[in-house]
Amino acid sequence: MLSKYAIKSPWLYRINTGSCNGCDVELATTALIPRYDVERLGCKYTGSPKHADIVLVTGPITVRAEDYLIRMLDEIPEPRVIVAIGICPISGGIFRDSYSIRGPLDKYVEVDVNVSGCPIRPQSILDGVAQAIAIWKDKINQFHEA
Amino acid sequence: MITLSASSVFAYLLFPGGLFAILFGLILLSVERIAVARFQGRVGPPIYQNIFDILKLRIKEVLIPEDVTNRFMFAIAPVFGFVGMMTAIFILPVSGVYGGTGANSDLIVLVYLMALPAVSHILGGSASGSTFAAISVSREVILMFAYEISFIIVLFTVALEAGAGEGVVFSLKGIVDYQVIHGSFISNFKMIPAFLAFVIFMLATLEVPPFHIAENDGDVMKGYLMEYSGMPLAFFEITHALKLIVLLTVLQVFFMPGIAGYNVFFNLLWFIGKSAVVVIGIALIHASMPSFRVDQAFKFLMTVPILLSLMSLGMVLFL
Repeated sequence: MLSKYAIKSPWLYRINTGSCNGCDVELATTALIPRYDVERLGCKYTGSPKHADIVLVTGPITVRAEDYLIRMLDEIPEPRVIVAIGICPISGGIFRDSYSIRGPLDKYVEVDVNVSGCPIRPQSILDGVAQAIAIWKDKINQFHEA
Repeated sequence: MITLSASSVFAYLLFPGGLFAILFGLILLSVERIAVARFQGRVGPPIYQNIFDILKLRIKEVLIPEDVTNRFMFAIAPVFGFVGMMTAIFILPVSGVYGGTGANSDLIVLVYLMALPAVSHILGGSASGSTFAAISVSREVILMFAYEISFIIVLFTVALEAGAGEGVVFSLKGIVDYQVIHGSFISNFKMIPAFLAFVIFMLATLEVPPFHIAENDGDVMKGYLMEYSGMPLAFFEITHALKLIVLLTVLQVFFMPGIAGYNVFFNLLWFIGKSAVVVIGIALIHASMPSFRVDQAFKFLMTVPILLSLMSLGMVLFL
């Protein structure tokens, strides 16, 4: 029953796994400027992975970022939704087959939404977050039945 | 003297403390977020946003990190601030609506209760064993030392002025009654510097920019709240909402307790209206200011609000 109210307050957390910062700029600033306000959906960027509901992962998962990514994914409480932002965590993008890349993201965790683009458009971020909220609602119900 | 009666239990649990204060505080926090969004040209969240945040945290998993230095302190820290704020709202009068407990020296008790949320942040943050929490706790302690001084000077100034040259009034109800008869202190030129000092104290306690230092997610991630999740985090959020209400009520007790007639309902609306205007003012500062570094904030808090409040104290004593 609480899921009806809970889906109106998804908190977002960004994980940068060696991204070129193109997608991070889009997430951090463009998604919050007047035209594409993600706070309308009740979202808020949090500082700690333990407060996160929807996790936005950018970057192709470099060798250095791998351990930190695994540790951080452990710290995110259930129920949660993982969103891959940009082409890099989905397939590696232009960094594919590089010696320093350990991606894609779905080797480590079950990815719920893929938002592709290089860099992503703000409209597709909002669309991805909206889809993630729909998936999150089902996950809350499953989590409470379990 | 406080006696346990049905009306005091009602006042503690439902109105104006307890449920009313929590809901009103959460709504005011949302109003602040909406106002910041509007000042930045955005739409902002809906007005019930912070209530839904609390309901959401109810369903989340509670994680307790393995390297917690003190499990008991980590678990009990959120309750400290919550209890302190609940009690503070219970003893504070809302002019024309609720008389407070009417105890003789409740102003002194208020000083101790107002420090409890910061103490709970310090206890919880230092027990959580996180490096970010440790940095944030040290910043919180530094700021707390700086802003509490100016608060105590403002408090003595108000108590002296309400005594009208015949000693000090340490009763909150006495301060309110004096101002209802003789006019609010905000319209008194001697008290304007103290009012400004109190507003700076409010900003520093609420940790909005320019004092968004201890839990700035830009450099210490979430600070002392870093390791909290689920219901304990919700307790910290509720405490923050109650802290906002306590500060707004103290501001209105100290400087603008004017009443809108003798109807309780209109007085309550007047209280809500004044609170909302102050919150929108805070949001304007929030939206337009960058954040201090901790040393800059310490220097600022040690000079400007203390000088302002001392100026008021001097005028009250010698004019």
